[in-house]
Amino acid sequence: MTTIFSSTQPQQETHTELALAGACRVVVLNDPVNLMSYVVLVFKKVFGFDERTARKHMLEVHELGRSVVWTGLREKAEAYAFTLHEWHLTAIIETDEKN
Amino acid sequence: MKRIEVKLSLPVVAPLLDVMKSVADSLMGSLAVPLNPIEGDEEMHDTLQAELLGAQNGGVRSLLEMFDREFFETGMIAFDEENAEPILRACAALRLRMREQYLKTFEDESLESGDVEIEDLPEPMRHIFMCYVFLATIQELIIQHLDSEILEG
Repeated sequence: MTTIFSSTQPQQETHTELALAGACRVVVLNDPVNLMSYVVLVFKKVFGFDERTARKHMLEVHELGRSVVWTGLREKAEAYAFTLHEWHLTAIIETDEKN
Repeated sequence: MKRIEVKLSLPVVAPLLDVMKSVADSLMGSLAVPLNPIEGDEEMHDTLQAELLGAQNGGVRSLLEMFDREFFETGMIAFDEENAEPILRACAALRLRMREQYLKTFEDESLESGDVEIEDLPEPMRHIFMCYVFLATIQELIIQHLDSEILEG
């Protein structure tokens, strides 16, 4: 058996990890005023959800009091929260500690 | 342009307009959903607040403009792709403010289910609650009858 030692073999390995630096969650909170159909419409319009996904999030908001509707970079999370605010939904941004 | 025209009962709806206008006035200087403070960036907070307030007031204006002279002559209101979204949002803003200002004593469950005996309510609460329900009806009409291209585009 022959082992070839290459002089060009790297001595150190570089490991690159793509992390979501400062990842945030956009969380929509329940209110007793806005109609379910309205909330579904807003989710479809703002996040591009299909009917089923939008309804799932709406029911989470309704039954659990909150639903995480988006996770990603803070800047975009803030933009989503602003848009939800324009539609008069209560949204907060939470830091996603898993990322 | 797709357009929905709805004929309303003038004797029923006209008295609700005073409630609507009074709530709309209260929204002129404040948001229906308050904006949380942005830590350490008061200027950004004020900028966002002003933008949201501008959008909110624009929507409320669109809603009130539906009840113009033509409405008082014919009882007709109309939605199209230009006013549908602002009106939808304005209805939400007014309902949120009505809840905060006048309907605090109602249980969340009663408001969500609409399980309230209007006949048992004293004035002016009766008109306020009727207006609250009327605004939800406008929202339902828009959501059900304007197709997805207009509202979800």
